[in-house]
Amino acid sequence: MRELIVHGGKMADRKIKLLLSKLGLDVHNRGVITVARILRDAGMEVIYLGNALPAEILSIAVQEHVDVVGVSSLGGAHLTLGKDLIDGAEKEGLKSKVVFIVGGVFSIEDEEKLKEMGFDGVFTAGVTRDEIVSSIKNLVLARKV
Amino acid sequence: MEDKKIRTKQLLKNMVKNENPVPLYSKKALDRIKKDFEDLKNRYSAPDSKMSWSVTPYTILGSEIPREMLYTPLHLSDLDYGFDIGFPGSEPFTRGIHPNMYRGKKFTIRQINGFGGPEDTNQRIKYMLEHGGTGISVIYDLPTTQMYDSDDPLSKGQVGMSGVAIDSADDMEILFKGVPIDKITISLVTHYPSNTAILFPMYLAAAERRGLPIDQLRGSVQNDITLEEVVRSGPEYIPPKDCFRIQCDNIEFIKNNVPYFNFNTLNGYNLHEFGTSGVTEMAVAVSNAIESLNEMIERGYEVDWVAERLAFFWSISSDFFEEVARIRAVRRLWYKIMKYRFEAKSSRAMWMRCHVQTSGISLVREEPLNNLIRAAIQALSAVFGGVQSLHVDSYDEAYSVPTEEAALLSLRTQQIIQEETAVTEVVDPLGGSFYVEALTSDIENRILDEIDEIEKVGGYVASIEKGWIHNRIANYFYREKELIDKGEIKFVGSNVFKSEDKKPSIEVFRYPRGVEDRQKAKLEKLRMTRDNEKVQYALNALENACVRNINLVPYSLECARVGCSVGEIFKIFKKSFGLWKPPVFW
Repeated sequence: MRELIVHGGKMADRKIKLLLSKLGLDVHNRGVITVARILRDAGMEVIYLGNALPAEILSIAVQEHVDVVGVSSLGGAHLTLGKDLIDGAEKEGLKSKVVFIVGGVFSIEDEEKLKEMGFDGVFTAGVTRDEIVSSIKNLVLARKV
Repeated sequence: MEDKKIRTKQLLKNMVKNENPVPLYSKKALDRIKKDFEDLKNRYSAPDSKMSWSVTPYTILGSEIPREMLYTPLHLSDLDYGFDIGFPGSEPFTRGIHPNMYRGKKFTIRQINGFGGPEDTNQRIKYMLEHGGTGISVIYDLPTTQMYDSDDPLSKGQVGMSGVAIDSADDMEILFKGVPIDKITISLVTHYPSNTAILFPMYLAAAERRGLPIDQLRGSVQNDITLEEVVRSGPEYIPPKDCFRIQCDNIEFIKNNVPYFNFNTLNGYNLHEFGTSGVTEMAVAVSNAIESLNEMIERGYEVDWVAERLAFFWSISSDFFEEVARIRAVRRLWYKIMKYRFEAKSSRAMWMRCHVQTSGISLVREEPLNNLIRAAIQALSAVFGGVQSLHVDSYDEAYSVPTEEAALLSLRTQQIIQEETAVTEVVDPLGGSFYVEALTSDIENRILDEIDEIEKVGGYVASIEKGWIHNRIANYFYREKELIDKGEIKFVGSNVFKSEDKKPSIEVFRYPRGVEDRQKAKLEKLRMTRDNEKVQYALNALENACVRNINLVPYSLECARVGCSVGEIFKIFKKSFGLWKPPVFW
C-alpha cells in the first residue's frame, strides 16, 4: 500500500478506503450515515457495515484492506465494545496499519479514555464536515508516510 | 394501482366545505387596513430595499416555512371563527381537545426513565414520583429494544445502557415493584411493533401476578412501524408488511383486552429527531394512522371504537411559533380526517391527543447549562400548543443519560411552567394571533401535501418498502448538517458566540456496575427453574399463530406467563417472517 502514497505527504490517486460501522446494537445511525456521505462526497471509498460487533468489523477490515475503521456509538457501550475493538486490532496486528476512529455521545472523561485506549480520532457532536475530512486525511498520511 | 386508493387531500378538498361562511373580519375593516399594509410591505419589497419582507428561518429540525414581517387580519380574510377555530373541546378542536384544557387537567409530567437493571430503574421511578411526577415513561436498553437477551453474544457490554434491561416477565415485575400501576398511567416506550408484542405481554403477566385486573390498566405503548423499519439501526429486521401486521395485532389485542391503554402512540418524535422537518414528522405519523385504521376496519372493527385510543408523540424543537402552530394544525387536520375520511361519530375519536418531548438533537455539548434554557423554551411552546403530556430533556443529555439531579431539573422545569407562570389558566392563549392562525393554516396545508405525496407512492408501508421515506430523511439531515456547518442553523456557544470553555466541568451519569452479570444470573436461574416443556409448547403455539396469520399477541402473552425470554420470542418472529434488508440510504 505504501507505494501508492506520493512522497511529500500528498495523497496519490488511490482513494482512502474506510470501513464504517455501528458498534453493537446501538440504534442511532443518523451521525454515521452523515459521516459516510461526507467522506464519500470528499472522494473516499466508504464501506458501511451497519450494526456489527468488533470481531466482524475487524475481519472485514482485513478482507477489504481498509485504511480507516470508524465506529459509531451513542448508546453507552463505547468503552466496553471500543476496548474489544482495539484489543482485537492489536491481536490481529492491525492497530499499527489501520487508523481507528470513533464517533458518538461520550462524556469528556470518556473522550480521554477512548484516546488512551488507542483510538486515533474521537469525534463528538458539533464536529464539522471539514474537520472530519481533514483529520482523517491527516491521520492516514501520518500512518502511511 | 395507487390511484385507486382514496387520496386524503382530494377527499378533504371535496368534503370539507363551509356551507354558511361568516368571515371574522368584515370587508370594510379589511379594506381600511389594506392600504397601510400594502405601503409597508412595498417599502420592504422595493428593489433598493436592503430588507426582505419574507424571511425563511433556518432552525434545527425546522420546516423552512417563509415568514412575513408582519401579520394582520388581511392574512385571515376568510377566517370563520366557528368553522376554523371554534371552541376548545368542540370541532374542529383547533383550540384544544378539552373545553377547559389545563384548568381541568394539567398536562401530565411524564419524564422518561430507564438505565441499568429493573432494580435500578425501579428506584429512579420512585424518586420521580416522590418529587411530583404524575406519570411514568420507561425506556428499554439496547438489547431489550432490539430484542436480544442479556446473555446473547450480541448484547455484550450493552446491558442496561440507554434504558433498562428486561429479559422476562420476572424483570417487569421487579421494574414496577411498589409502583402504583393501577393508579397512575404507565407509558412503556416499546418503540417497535415487534418488541411491543413481546414486552407489553410481559407487563401484563407481571400485573396478573400482582392480582391486578388487566382491563383496568392505563397507559401507552408505542408500537410504531416507523421506529422498527425506518428510524432504527439494527442487525436484523423483519419485513415491513409483517411488522405492520404485528402493529395491528397489538392494536386489536390491546383494544379488546386492555381497553384503557393507548395501543399505538404514533411516533413522530424519533423520526423528526432522526432528521425530517416538523411537517414531514406529522405527515408520516398521520399516514401511518390512516393505514392502521384502514386495516382495523378491514378486520371488522368500528372506526370510532378503534380511534378513541390512538395517540401521537411529537418532538418539539426550537422554532417557537412553528411548534405551537404545528400542534394546532395537526389537531385540526386529524379532526378533518376522522370526520370526513373515516366518518367518525364520537368526538374522542377525532381528538389528536399527544405526548411531546423537547428535542434531544437540539442539545449542545458546549456550555451544557444553556440546554436548560433551550428545553424550557421548547416546553413552553408545547404548552401553548395544548399538549396532553410532556417530557423535558435534561441538559446533560449531549453527554449521557441524565443524572438524578439533571432529571430533577427537567421535572422542575415543568412544575415551574405549571405553578409559577399562570400560562395554564387560559385556554389556547395564542389562538387568534394573526401570525399563529396564518401559520397554523399554512402548516396544515403543508402536512396534507406531504400526506398526498406518501399516498401517491402507494401509502405508508409502500413508502417504507420502496425506501422513499429513508431517502427523504437522509437528504434532510445531510442538508441540515451543511446548514449547521455553515452557521445558518445557529447554536449559541457552538457555532455562534463560540464557547471559550471547550471542556466544561459537568457531572455525568455513570451506569451502575454489574448489571450484565446480574441479568445473566437471573436468566440462567429462570431457564433452570421454569417449566421448559410449557415454554416449548408456548413458543410453538406462537409460531403457529405467526405463520397462520392469527393474532399473535395472546400467544406471546402465554409465552410471557410461562417465562419465555425476550430473545426467545423474537427468534420465533424471525423464523416465521424471515428477514428484510432495509434500503441503503446514503
